[in-house]
Amino acid sequence: MPVARSDIAVLAVVCLATWGAAPVLAQSADPLEVGRKMLAEDNPGELWIERGKTLFYQKRGPKDASLEQCDFGLGSGKLEGAAARLPRYFHDTDSVQDLESRLLSCMVRLQGFSRDDIVKRAISPAGSNGSDVEALALYITSRSNGMTMNISLSHQKEVDIYKAGEYLFYRRSGQTDFACVQCHGEASKRIRLQDLVHMTDKKGVQGVVSTWPAYRGMQFVVRTMQWRLSDCFWQMRLPELKYASDASIALTTYLHYQGNGAVIKVPGFKR
Amino acid sequence: MVLGAPALIAAGCATFPDPATTRQIAETMVSEDFTAPTPALLKRLEQDRSQRICSRIGDAKLTQEEAAEVVQLARASIQYPASGRLVGDWKTGNTLAHDGAGDRIQGGRLEQRKENGGLCQNCHALAPDEINVGNVGPSLTGYGLQRGNSEAIAKLTYERIYNAWAYAPCSNMPRLGATRHLTPEQIAHLVAFLIDPASPVNKR
Repeated sequence: MPVARSDIAVLAVVCLATWGAAPVLAQSADPLEVGRKMLAEDNPGELWIERGKTLFYQKRGPKDASLEQCDFGLGSGKLEGAAARLPRYFHDTDSVQDLESRLLSCMVRLQGFSRDDIVKRAISPAGSNGSDVEALALYITSRSNGMTMNISLSHQKEVDIYKAGEYLFYRRSGQTDFACVQCHGEASKRIRLQDLVHMTDKKGVQGVVSTWPAYRGMQFVVRTMQWRLSDCFWQMRLPELKYASDASIALTTYLHYQGNGAVIKVPGFKR
Repeated sequence: MVLGAPALIAAGCATFPDPATTRQIAETMVSEDFTAPTPALLKRLEQDRSQRICSRIGDAKLTQEEAAEVVQLARASIQYPASGRLVGDWKTGNTLAHDGAGDRIQGGRLEQRKENGGLCQNCHALAPDEINVGNVGPSLTGYGLQRGNSEAIAKLTYERIYNAWAYAPCSNMPRLGATRHLTPEQIAHLVAFLIDPASPVNKR
Protein backbone atom coordinates (compact mmCIF):
# COMPACT_ATOMS: atom_id res chain seq x y z
CA MET A 1 0.00 0.00 0.00
CA PRO A 2 1.22 3.49 -0.77
CA VAL A 3 0.60 4.75 2.75
CA ALA A 4 2.68 3.01 5.36
CA ARG A 5 1.43 2.30 8.84
CA SER A 6 3.79 4.75 10.47
CA ASP A 7 2.71 7.59 8.16
CA ILE A 8 -0.90 7.14 9.11
CA ALA A 9 -0.08 7.09 12.77
CA VAL A 10 1.96 10.28 12.48
CA LEU A 11 -0.82 11.94 10.52
CA ALA A 12 -3.36 11.00 13.13
CA VAL A 13 -1.22 12.33 15.95
CA VAL A 14 -0.62 15.61 14.12
CA CYS A 15 -4.33 16.03 13.44
CA LEU A 16 -5.28 15.38 17.03
CA ALA A 17 -2.57 17.63 18.40
CA THR A 18 -3.60 20.51 16.14
CA TRP A 19 -7.24 20.14 16.99
CA GLY A 20 -6.53 19.69 20.67
CA ALA A 21 -5.39 23.29 20.78
CA ALA A 22 -8.29 24.66 18.78
CA PRO A 23 -11.14 26.36 20.65
CA VAL A 24 -13.74 24.27 18.81
CA LEU A 25 -12.79 21.30 20.95
CA ALA A 26 -13.70 23.05 24.15
CA GLN A 27 -17.08 24.10 22.75
CA SER A 28 -18.09 20.65 21.60
CA ALA A 29 -20.53 18.70 23.74
CA ASP A 30 -18.54 15.56 23.04
CA PRO A 31 -14.84 16.23 22.59
CA LEU A 32 -14.23 12.63 21.51
CA GLU A 33 -16.60 13.09 18.61
CA VAL A 34 -14.45 15.92 17.21
CA GLY A 35 -11.41 13.69 17.01
CA ARG A 36 -13.35 10.90 15.39
CA LYS A 37 -14.79 13.24 12.78
CA MET A 38 -11.36 14.64 11.98
CA LEU A 39 -9.95 11.18 11.37
CA ALA A 40 -12.93 10.06 9.33
CA GLU A 41 -12.55 12.94 6.89
CA ASP A 42 -9.32 11.49 5.62
CA ASN A 43 -10.20 7.82 5.57
CA PRO A 44 -7.23 5.64 4.63
CA GLY A 45 -9.72 2.87 3.86
CA GLU A 46 -10.31 4.54 0.48
CA LEU A 47 -7.04 2.99 -0.64
CA TRP A 48 -8.51 -0.49 -0.29
CA ILE A 49 -11.30 0.23 -2.80
CA GLU A 50 -8.99 0.49 -5.78
CA ARG A 51 -7.20 -2.66 -4.74
CA GLY A 52 -10.50 -4.51 -4.41
CA LYS A 53 -11.52 -3.35 -7.86
CA THR A 54 -8.28 -4.66 -9.37
CA LEU A 55 -8.75 -7.99 -7.61
CA PHE A 56 -12.33 -8.23 -8.83
CA TYR A 57 -11.50 -7.84 -12.53
CA GLN A 58 -8.16 -9.65 -12.52
CA LYS A 59 -7.99 -13.22 -13.79
CA ARG A 60 -6.87 -15.16 -10.73
CA GLY A 61 -6.80 -18.55 -9.08
CA PRO A 62 -6.35 -22.08 -10.45
CA LYS A 63 -9.12 -21.44 -13.00
CA ASP A 64 -7.59 -18.14 -14.11
CA ALA A 65 -10.93 -16.35 -13.96
CA SER A 66 -12.13 -12.95 -12.81
CA LEU A 67 -15.12 -12.45 -10.51
CA GLU A 68 -17.16 -10.78 -13.25
CA GLN A 69 -19.49 -13.77 -13.47
CA CYS A 70 -20.22 -13.68 -9.75
CA ASP A 71 -23.89 -13.10 -9.00
CA PHE A 72 -24.42 -11.15 -5.82
CA GLY A 73 -28.17 -11.35 -6.21
CA LEU A 74 -28.89 -8.89 -8.99
CA GLY A 75 -27.32 -10.86 -11.85
CA SER A 76 -23.80 -11.84 -12.89
CA GLY A 77 -21.32 -9.07 -12.31
CA LYS A 78 -23.98 -6.54 -11.36
CA LEU A 79 -22.60 -4.82 -8.32
CA GLU A 80 -24.54 -1.56 -8.10
CA GLY A 81 -26.92 -1.89 -5.18
CA ALA A 82 -26.14 -5.58 -4.61
CA ALA A 83 -24.68 -5.10 -1.13
CA ALA A 84 -27.78 -3.13 -0.11
CA ARG A 85 -29.84 -6.30 -0.54
CA LEU A 86 -27.54 -8.68 1.35
CA PRO A 87 -27.83 -11.11 3.08
CA ARG A 88 -30.32 -12.87 0.80
CA TYR A 89 -31.28 -16.35 -0.38
CA PHE A 90 -29.37 -17.84 -3.35
CA HIS A 91 -30.78 -20.74 -5.33
CA ASP A 92 -27.45 -22.16 -6.45
CA THR A 93 -26.21 -22.67 -2.90
CA ASP A 94 -29.70 -23.12 -1.43
CA SER A 95 -28.72 -20.88 1.46
CA VAL A 96 -28.88 -17.34 2.77
CA GLN A 97 -25.53 -15.66 2.24
CA ASP A 98 -23.98 -12.39 3.29
CA LEU A 99 -21.54 -10.53 1.07
CA GLU A 100 -18.50 -12.34 2.39
CA SER A 101 -19.89 -15.87 2.22
CA ARG A 102 -21.14 -15.14 -1.31
CA LEU A 103 -17.73 -13.85 -2.28
CA LEU A 104 -16.24 -17.02 -0.86
CA SER A 105 -18.58 -19.17 -2.96
CA CYS A 106 -17.56 -17.31 -6.12
CA MET A 107 -13.84 -17.46 -5.39
CA VAL A 108 -14.17 -21.22 -4.95
CA ARG A 109 -16.53 -21.93 -7.86
CA LEU A 110 -15.32 -19.46 -10.45
CA GLN A 111 -11.67 -19.08 -9.59
CA GLY A 112 -10.93 -22.46 -8.06
CA PHE A 113 -9.46 -21.20 -4.82
CA SER A 114 -9.57 -23.49 -1.80
CA ARG A 115 -12.21 -22.42 0.68
CA ASP A 116 -10.01 -23.26 3.64
CA ASP A 117 -7.15 -21.15 2.29
CA ILE A 118 -9.35 -18.11 1.79
CA VAL A 119 -10.99 -18.46 5.20
CA LYS A 120 -7.61 -18.80 6.89
CA ARG A 121 -6.49 -15.46 5.44
CA ALA A 122 -9.82 -13.65 5.34
CA ILE A 123 -9.19 -11.63 8.48
CA SER A 124 -5.75 -10.07 8.14
CA PRO A 125 -3.27 -9.34 10.93
CA ALA A 126 -3.38 -5.81 12.38
CA GLY A 127 -0.99 -3.46 10.63
CA SER A 128 -0.79 -5.63 7.53
CA ASN A 129 -1.75 -4.77 3.97
CA GLY A 130 -5.05 -6.52 4.50
CA SER A 131 -6.55 -9.59 2.86
CA ASP A 132 -8.01 -10.00 -0.62
CA VAL A 133 -11.41 -10.67 0.89
CA GLU A 134 -11.30 -7.44 2.91
CA ALA A 135 -10.42 -5.39 -0.17
CA LEU A 136 -13.01 -7.15 -2.35
CA ALA A 137 -15.76 -6.82 0.27
CA LEU A 138 -15.07 -3.10 0.54
CA TYR A 139 -14.98 -2.56 -3.24
CA ILE A 140 -18.24 -4.46 -3.77
CA THR A 141 -20.00 -2.67 -0.91
CA SER A 142 -18.71 0.69 -2.15
CA ARG A 143 -20.67 0.09 -5.35
CA SER A 144 -23.77 0.51 -3.20
CA ASN A 145 -22.63 3.82 -1.74
CA GLY A 146 -25.49 6.30 -1.59
CA MET A 147 -28.04 3.51 -1.88
CA THR A 148 -30.55 2.45 0.73
CA MET A 149 -30.28 -0.78 2.72
CA ASN A 150 -33.26 -2.84 1.66
CA ILE A 151 -33.24 -6.42 2.91
CA SER A 152 -36.33 -8.43 2.14
CA LEU A 153 -37.50 -11.50 3.99
CA SER A 154 -39.40 -13.26 1.23
CA HIS A 155 -37.88 -16.74 1.08
CA GLN A 156 -38.66 -18.97 4.06
CA LYS A 157 -34.95 -19.48 4.71
CA GLU A 158 -34.51 -15.69 4.93
CA VAL A 159 -37.24 -15.47 7.54
CA ASP A 160 -35.84 -18.43 9.46
CA ILE A 161 -32.30 -17.09 9.58
CA TYR A 162 -33.53 -13.62 10.51
CA LYS A 163 -35.38 -15.03 13.51
CA ALA A 164 -32.34 -17.13 14.43
CA GLY A 165 -30.24 -13.96 14.31
CA GLU A 166 -32.65 -12.22 16.64
CA TYR A 167 -32.51 -15.21 19.00
CA LEU A 168 -28.71 -15.14 19.00
CA PHE A 169 -28.64 -11.39 19.62
CA TYR A 170 -30.41 -12.03 22.94
CA ARG A 171 -28.80 -15.39 23.81
CA ARG A 172 -26.69 -15.11 26.99
CA SER A 173 -23.87 -17.56 27.65
CA GLY A 174 -20.33 -17.93 28.91
CA GLN A 175 -18.56 -16.65 31.98
CA THR A 176 -19.59 -13.05 31.33
CA ASP A 177 -23.27 -13.95 30.89
CA PHE A 178 -23.28 -11.72 27.82
CA ALA A 179 -25.44 -11.67 24.74
CA CYS A 180 -25.10 -8.83 22.21
CA VAL A 181 -27.88 -6.89 23.91
CA GLN A 182 -26.02 -6.51 27.22
CA CYS A 183 -23.73 -3.94 25.57
CA HIS A 184 -25.89 -2.82 22.64
CA GLY A 185 -29.37 -2.49 24.09
CA GLU A 186 -29.27 1.03 25.53
CA ALA A 187 -28.48 4.54 24.34
CA SER A 188 -25.34 6.53 25.25
CA LYS A 189 -23.40 3.66 26.76
CA ARG A 190 -19.64 3.17 26.72
CA ILE A 191 -17.10 0.45 27.46
CA ARG A 192 -14.45 2.60 29.09
CA LEU A 193 -14.33 5.54 26.66
CA GLN A 194 -15.53 3.62 23.61
CA ASP A 195 -19.07 4.34 22.51
CA LEU A 196 -21.33 1.33 22.21
CA VAL A 197 -23.81 1.37 19.37
CA HIS A 198 -27.44 1.25 20.48
CA MET A 199 -28.55 -1.55 18.17
CA THR A 200 -32.11 -1.99 19.37
CA ASP A 201 -32.67 1.56 18.15
CA LYS A 202 -33.40 2.13 14.44
CA LYS A 203 -30.94 5.01 14.01
CA GLY A 204 -28.27 3.19 15.98
CA VAL A 205 -28.43 0.00 13.96
CA GLN A 206 -28.59 1.98 10.71
CA GLY A 207 -25.28 3.55 11.64
CA VAL A 208 -23.82 0.05 11.89
CA VAL A 209 -25.15 -1.60 8.77
CA SER A 210 -24.22 1.31 6.49
CA THR A 211 -20.58 1.66 7.54
CA TRP A 212 -18.96 -1.78 7.20
CA PRO A 213 -16.41 -2.60 5.83
CA ALA A 214 -14.62 0.11 7.75
CA TYR A 215 -11.09 1.33 8.31
CA ARG A 216 -10.05 0.49 11.86
CA GLY A 217 -7.70 3.20 13.07
CA MET A 218 -6.13 1.20 15.87
CA GLN A 219 -5.33 -1.73 13.60
CA PHE A 220 -4.45 0.17 10.40
CA VAL A 221 -6.55 -2.14 8.24
CA VAL A 222 -9.98 -2.40 6.69
CA ARG A 223 -12.25 -4.67 8.69
CA THR A 224 -15.48 -6.34 7.63
CA MET A 225 -18.72 -7.23 9.40
CA GLN A 226 -17.49 -10.81 9.81
CA TRP A 227 -14.52 -9.47 11.74
CA ARG A 228 -16.71 -7.18 13.83
CA LEU A 229 -18.89 -10.07 14.95
CA SER A 230 -15.96 -12.38 15.71
CA ASP A 231 -14.26 -9.67 17.77
CA CYS A 232 -17.35 -9.30 19.94
CA PHE A 233 -17.39 -13.04 20.68
CA TRP A 234 -13.71 -12.81 21.59
CA GLN A 235 -14.38 -10.08 24.15
CA MET A 236 -17.31 -12.09 25.49
CA ARG A 237 -14.86 -14.94 26.23
CA LEU A 238 -16.80 -17.24 23.93
CA PRO A 239 -15.41 -19.73 21.39
CA GLU A 240 -14.42 -18.38 17.98
CA LEU A 241 -17.17 -17.66 15.48
CA LYS A 242 -16.45 -19.53 12.24
CA TYR A 243 -15.90 -17.21 9.29
CA ALA A 244 -18.97 -16.97 7.04
CA SER A 245 -20.88 -19.44 9.24
CA ASP A 246 -24.67 -19.52 9.42
CA ALA A 247 -24.56 -18.01 12.90
CA SER A 248 -22.61 -15.03 11.57
CA ILE A 249 -24.99 -14.64 8.63
CA ALA A 250 -27.98 -14.91 10.96
CA LEU A 251 -26.73 -12.02 13.10
CA THR A 252 -25.94 -9.94 10.01
CA THR A 253 -29.36 -10.67 8.51
CA TYR A 254 -31.02 -9.61 11.75
CA LEU A 255 -29.02 -6.39 12.00
CA HIS A 256 -29.28 -5.47 8.31
CA TYR A 257 -33.04 -5.98 8.29
CA GLN A 258 -33.38 -3.84 11.41
CA GLY A 259 -31.27 -1.23 9.66
CA ASN A 260 -33.30 -1.11 6.45
CA GLY A 261 -33.50 2.43 5.14
CA ALA A 262 -29.90 3.31 6.03
CA VAL A 263 -27.87 4.97 3.29
CA ILE A 264 -24.68 3.05 2.64
CA LYS A 265 -21.42 4.95 2.96
CA VAL A 266 -18.24 2.89 3.04
CA PRO A 267 -15.52 2.65 4.07
CA GLY A 268 -16.70 3.59 7.53
CA PHE A 269 -14.15 4.80 10.02
CA LYS A 270 -13.82 3.17 13.41
CA ARG A 271 -11.41 3.85 16.22
CA MET B 1 -39.28 -6.64 16.58
CA VAL B 2 -41.80 -8.09 14.10
CA LEU B 3 -41.62 -5.23 11.67
CA GLY B 4 -42.16 -7.28 8.54
CA ALA B 5 -44.71 -9.78 9.82
CA PRO B 6 -47.98 -8.39 8.47
CA ALA B 7 -46.54 -7.72 5.01
CA LEU B 8 -45.07 -11.20 4.80
CA ILE B 9 -48.20 -12.97 5.83
CA ALA B 10 -50.23 -10.89 3.41
CA ALA B 11 -47.89 -11.83 0.59
CA GLY B 12 -48.24 -15.46 1.58
CA CYS B 13 -44.66 -16.25 0.67
CA ALA B 14 -43.01 -16.91 4.00
CA THR B 15 -44.08 -17.02 7.61
CA PHE B 16 -42.37 -16.48 10.90
CA PRO B 17 -41.44 -19.80 12.47
CA ASP B 18 -42.72 -20.53 15.97
CA PRO B 19 -40.27 -19.90 18.83
CA ALA B 20 -39.45 -23.60 19.24
CA THR B 21 -38.42 -23.88 15.57
CA THR B 22 -36.33 -20.73 15.79
CA ARG B 23 -34.69 -22.04 18.92
CA GLN B 24 -33.86 -25.32 17.20
CA ILE B 25 -32.40 -23.59 14.13
CA ALA B 26 -30.35 -21.17 16.21
CA GLU B 27 -29.11 -23.76 18.69
CA THR B 28 -27.89 -25.91 15.77
CA MET B 29 -25.86 -22.90 14.65
CA VAL B 30 -24.45 -22.49 18.14
CA SER B 31 -23.32 -26.10 18.20
CA GLU B 32 -21.84 -26.07 14.68
CA ASP B 33 -20.52 -22.59 14.01
CA PHE B 34 -17.91 -22.05 16.70
CA THR B 35 -14.46 -23.48 17.34
CA ALA B 36 -12.30 -23.69 20.45
CA PRO B 37 -8.88 -25.14 21.29
CA THR B 38 -10.49 -27.81 23.50
CA PRO B 39 -13.95 -29.40 23.81
CA ALA B 40 -14.18 -28.07 27.36
CA LEU B 41 -13.83 -24.49 26.09
CA LEU B 42 -16.54 -25.11 23.50
CA LYS B 43 -18.88 -25.80 26.41
CA ARG B 44 -18.78 -22.12 27.28
CA LEU B 45 -21.54 -21.70 24.71
CA GLU B 46 -23.88 -24.00 26.61
CA GLN B 47 -26.43 -22.14 28.67
CA ASP B 48 -27.25 -22.90 32.27
CA ARG B 49 -30.83 -22.67 33.49
CA SER B 50 -30.49 -19.04 34.59
CA GLN B 51 -28.94 -17.94 31.31
CA ARG B 52 -31.82 -19.52 29.42
CA ILE B 53 -34.36 -17.71 31.57
CA CYS B 54 -32.47 -14.44 31.22
CA SER B 55 -32.23 -14.61 27.39
CA ARG B 56 -35.47 -12.78 26.76
CA ILE B 57 -36.07 -11.51 23.26
CA GLY B 58 -36.92 -7.84 22.80
CA ASP B 59 -38.99 -6.35 25.57
CA ALA B 60 -40.28 -9.68 26.89
CA LYS B 61 -40.63 -9.35 30.65
CA LEU B 62 -39.41 -11.78 33.27
CA THR B 63 -42.32 -13.42 35.09
CA GLN B 64 -42.36 -13.37 38.90
CA GLU B 65 -41.79 -17.13 38.96
CA GLU B 66 -38.80 -16.84 36.64
CA ALA B 67 -37.30 -14.02 38.67
CA ALA B 68 -37.76 -16.03 41.86
CA GLU B 69 -36.07 -19.06 40.32
CA VAL B 70 -33.09 -17.02 39.11
CA VAL B 71 -32.70 -15.46 42.55
CA GLN B 72 -32.93 -18.86 44.22
CA LEU B 73 -30.34 -20.42 41.90
CA ALA B 74 -28.08 -17.41 42.43
CA ARG B 75 -28.31 -17.59 46.21
CA ALA B 76 -27.50 -21.28 46.13
CA SER B 77 -24.43 -20.66 43.95
CA ILE B 78 -22.58 -18.32 46.29
CA GLN B 79 -19.40 -19.65 47.86
CA TYR B 80 -17.19 -17.75 50.27
CA PRO B 81 -13.39 -17.72 50.56
CA ALA B 82 -11.93 -20.66 52.49
CA SER B 83 -10.44 -18.18 54.97
CA GLY B 84 -13.90 -16.78 55.70
CA ARG B 85 -12.55 -13.26 55.11
CA LEU B 86 -14.82 -11.33 52.76
CA VAL B 87 -12.66 -8.21 52.76
CA GLY B 88 -9.24 -8.53 51.15
CA ASP B 89 -6.66 -5.96 50.13
CA TRP B 90 -7.97 -2.84 48.39
CA LYS B 91 -4.70 -2.28 46.49
CA THR B 92 -4.91 -5.71 44.91
CA GLY B 93 -8.59 -4.99 44.25
CA ASN B 94 -7.67 -1.71 42.56
CA THR B 95 -5.37 -3.47 40.13
CA LEU B 96 -7.93 -6.17 39.52
CA ALA B 97 -10.74 -3.66 38.89
CA HIS B 98 -8.67 -2.09 36.11
CA ASP B 99 -7.70 -5.38 34.48
CA GLY B 100 -9.90 -6.38 31.56
CA ALA B 101 -7.88 -9.33 30.30
CA GLY B 102 -7.88 -13.09 30.63
CA ASP B 103 -9.57 -16.16 29.22
CA ARG B 104 -10.27 -14.87 25.70
CA ILE B 105 -9.95 -17.22 22.74
CA GLN B 106 -8.29 -16.14 19.51
CA GLY B 107 -6.41 -17.84 16.69
CA GLY B 108 -7.10 -21.23 18.24
CA ARG B 109 -5.48 -20.25 21.52
CA LEU B 110 -6.71 -19.47 24.99
CA GLU B 111 -5.37 -16.31 26.63
CA GLN B 112 -3.84 -17.95 29.67
CA ARG B 113 -3.01 -15.94 32.74
CA LYS B 114 -2.59 -16.80 36.38
CA GLU B 115 -5.93 -15.18 37.00
CA ASN B 116 -8.53 -13.16 35.13
CA GLY B 117 -9.03 -9.42 35.36
CA GLY B 118 -12.05 -8.10 37.23
CA LEU B 119 -13.41 -6.10 34.25
CA CYS B 120 -14.99 -3.43 36.57
CA GLN B 121 -13.51 -0.41 34.77
CA ASN B 122 -15.15 -1.46 31.51
CA CYS B 123 -18.62 -0.69 32.85
CA HIS B 124 -18.38 1.27 36.12
CA ALA B 125 -17.10 4.68 37.19
CA LEU B 126 -14.53 4.06 39.96
CA ALA B 127 -12.29 6.72 41.55
CA PRO B 128 -13.67 10.27 41.27
CA ASP B 129 -10.78 11.50 39.09
CA GLU B 130 -10.89 8.64 36.60
CA ILE B 131 -11.94 9.41 33.05
CA ASN B 132 -11.33 6.14 31.25
CA VAL B 133 -14.31 4.28 32.69
CA GLY B 134 -17.48 2.87 31.18
CA ASN B 135 -21.10 3.58 32.06
CA VAL B 136 -22.93 0.35 31.21
CA GLY B 137 -23.31 -0.28 34.93
CA PRO B 138 -23.99 2.22 37.73
CA SER B 139 -21.23 4.45 39.10
CA LEU B 140 -19.32 2.96 42.01
CA THR B 141 -17.66 6.24 42.94
CA GLY B 142 -18.05 6.79 46.67
CA TYR B 143 -19.49 3.29 47.14
CA GLY B 144 -18.10 2.93 50.65
CA LEU B 145 -18.75 6.56 51.60
CA GLN B 146 -22.45 6.00 51.00
CA ARG B 147 -22.72 2.59 52.62
CA GLY B 148 -19.95 2.33 55.18
CA ASN B 149 -17.82 -0.76 55.68
CA SER B 150 -19.81 -2.81 58.16
CA GLU B 151 -19.80 -6.59 58.07
CA ALA B 152 -23.29 -6.56 56.56
CA ILE B 153 -22.19 -4.24 53.74
CA ALA B 154 -19.12 -6.38 53.10
CA LYS B 155 -21.28 -9.49 52.78
CA LEU B 156 -23.82 -7.79 50.53
CA THR B 157 -21.05 -6.42 48.32
CA TYR B 158 -19.33 -9.79 48.12
CA GLU B 159 -22.56 -11.52 47.14
CA ARG B 160 -23.45 -8.89 44.55
CA ILE B 161 -20.13 -9.41 42.83
CA TYR B 162 -20.15 -13.18 43.20
CA ASN B 163 -23.63 -13.47 41.76
CA ALA B 164 -25.41 -10.21 40.98
CA TRP B 165 -28.54 -12.11 40.01
CA ALA B 166 -29.18 -12.96 43.68
CA TYR B 167 -30.28 -9.33 44.04
CA ALA B 168 -31.05 -8.23 40.48
CA PRO B 169 -32.16 -11.27 38.49
CA CYS B 170 -31.04 -11.19 34.84
CA SER B 171 -29.28 -7.83 35.17
CA ASN B 172 -26.46 -7.08 32.73
CA MET B 173 -23.86 -7.67 35.44
CA PRO B 174 -21.93 -10.92 34.92
CA ARG B 175 -22.14 -13.48 37.75
CA LEU B 176 -18.40 -13.17 38.17
CA GLY B 177 -17.95 -15.72 40.94
CA ALA B 178 -20.67 -18.16 39.96
CA THR B 179 -19.33 -18.48 36.39
CA ARG B 180 -15.79 -18.92 37.77
CA HIS B 181 -14.50 -15.83 36.01
CA LEU B 182 -13.15 -14.68 39.37
CA THR B 183 -12.12 -16.63 42.46
CA PRO B 184 -13.64 -15.97 45.91
CA GLU B 185 -10.31 -14.45 47.01
CA GLN B 186 -10.27 -12.05 44.05
CA ILE B 187 -13.81 -10.98 44.87
CA ALA B 188 -12.80 -10.27 48.48
CA HIS B 189 -10.10 -7.92 47.12
CA LEU B 190 -12.74 -6.15 45.04
CA VAL B 191 -14.94 -5.81 48.12
CA ALA B 192 -12.04 -4.07 49.90
CA PHE B 193 -11.53 -1.82 46.88
CA LEU B 194 -15.17 -0.74 47.13
CA ILE B 195 -15.63 -0.31 50.89
CA ASP B 196 -12.21 0.44 52.38
CA PRO B 197 -12.09 4.13 53.43
CA ALA B 198 -8.53 4.31 52.07
CA SER B 199 -9.50 3.09 48.59
CA PRO B 200 -9.43 5.62 45.72
CA VAL B 201 -13.12 4.85 45.12
CA ASN B 202 -13.88 6.54 48.46
CA LYS B 203 -11.68 9.57 47.97
CA ARG B 204 -13.58 12.77 48.70
